[in-house]
Amino acid sequence: MLISPEVLTIYILDILFALFATVAFIVSIKIVKGYDANATTALQYELEKKSYLASTIIKYLFFIKVPFFLFFIFTLDSISFILPGAMCGAGVINSSSVATPLLFLKLLNIYLFAYWIVLDKEDMSDETQPYMKLKFLLYLLFYILLMVEIFLEFSMFLSINTTSVVDCCGKIFSQSDSTYMGELLGLSSFVYITLFYGNFVLLLLSYLLKNRYIFALFNLTFIVVALLTLIAFFGTYIYELPTHHCPFCLLQSDYHYVGYVLYSLLFLGTFNGVVIGLHRFSVDVQKQKMRYSLAFLTLYMGIISYYFLGYYLKNGVWL
Amino acid sequence: MIELLNVSKEYEGGVKALDGITLSFGEGEVVVLKGMSGSGKSSMLSLIAGLSKPTEGEVIVDTKHISKLADHFATGFRRENIGMIFQKYNLIADLSVKENILLPLVPLNLKGGELEKRLSKELKQFNLLDKKDTQVKKLSGGEQQRCAIARANINNPKIILADEPTANLDEKLSLEFIESLREMKSEKRTIIISTHDPLFFDLDFVDRVIEVRHGKVL
Repeated sequence: MLISPEVLTIYILDILFALFATVAFIVSIKIVKGYDANATTALQYELEKKSYLASTIIKYLFFIKVPFFLFFIFTLDSISFILPGAMCGAGVINSSSVATPLLFLKLLNIYLFAYWIVLDKEDMSDETQPYMKLKFLLYLLFYILLMVEIFLEFSMFLSINTTSVVDCCGKIFSQSDSTYMGELLGLSSFVYITLFYGNFVLLLLSYLLKNRYIFALFNLTFIVVALLTLIAFFGTYIYELPTHHCPFCLLQSDYHYVGYVLYSLLFLGTFNGVVIGLHRFSVDVQKQKMRYSLAFLTLYMGIISYYFLGYYLKNGVWL
Repeated sequence: MIELLNVSKEYEGGVKALDGITLSFGEGEVVVLKGMSGSGKSSMLSLIAGLSKPTEGEVIVDTKHISKLADHFATGFRRENIGMIFQKYNLIADLSVKENILLPLVPLNLKGGELEKRLSKELKQFNLLDKKDTQVKKLSGGEQQRCAIARANINNPKIILADEPTANLDEKLSLEFIESLREMKSEKRTIIISTHDPLFFDLDFVDRVIEVRHGKVL
């Protein structure tokens, strides 16, 4: 069991999250069961009023979840110093069996809650509120995922043993290992460059085609490709070290916290791109979201390329 | 302009304020709703303003089914189309006359020049120019009521709803208020006044007087 000021903060915030999310969950059940836009009953008016309460809670959950996720990463990094062997957040993740699923679930939940916010905004901007039941029905599912996330978070910090030696990121992300990770890291530079820039070109082409499904699909693949190539290839140019593949060290001050910028751009870009595949927006909003997506991902690509090409221009060799 | 179709309003505890009312109000019309306290006049104004919703029936204001609108749409509609004058003025005591009058324009983010233009017009029309920077708690009852009317009028609403507007005024100030209404009538506003003040019943610019009793129109 591990207790530090940061971990304690996470516990308290998790309890508050669970409390408020449960209030919204109870209201959502009532709305899903009883909301009828044509009814003039006292129950209907009560549900209309309470829908504002539930929406506000869910919005705040999301707005707090985003910095809370960054705080979670920061916490992993900060407690790495008390785990023998760990050098950064990657070592802490490796110290608990639930940490990796938790990390992925946290990312998934951020995307899902962001989608909910978009759906809510669409609903609130239409006088007929066409997505009222759908958005609260979706929240019932998101609530379960949020509760699983909170449970995993508690489990993770409670299960960390501060006396056991854990692997450092150099070991976890080592290409000499005969693991899937090792194999992925061992591919040639040509494969990574083709994958990354190829996907980006496909994104550009689908933007020109204005097909929302294709654009969303290439955004979805870009999440995977960008993360894979960042860990396996581009990250080494940020670290200026061919064997350093850690996705967490990018978040440290040694690298000017560039990871926060990169991950934020990646989220903002891919979310705006993926969401247009999930929801039919007006033509103007769809165009705007496509532009936002492309702008954020172009910035991401620019920063990544700056490190990659900058290294070559500075040193005259590739890593 | 305004239609109430078979409208009933029942409050918690089974109190029926309105009972199957069907009424319409034309554009530019001035209508007085007369009746004793508790007859249902204020409930009717509240439904027209979209502040509450009917238990049965529909309220249509300027082609909008206001009784079916979600709260934030009703609020937006009210802000743009309806000015309200209350018995107790509902001014913010510590703010100045200017600040109170400009309140309805805050969400519109108008530029300074436009704000000043509209403010000057209202201050002039309602004879409040010299009180512009005075806190409203330092004003007389009549001045406070004029300030409330100016606030209701500042966003050029198509509809003015006045709920017992002269209940706290003496006869002289009530007559002043009536003159202000006459001016608003000349600006083609639809005006509905809920009152039991007899001063309103024989006014030349009032188009109709409707009596409401026990939630029904007589």
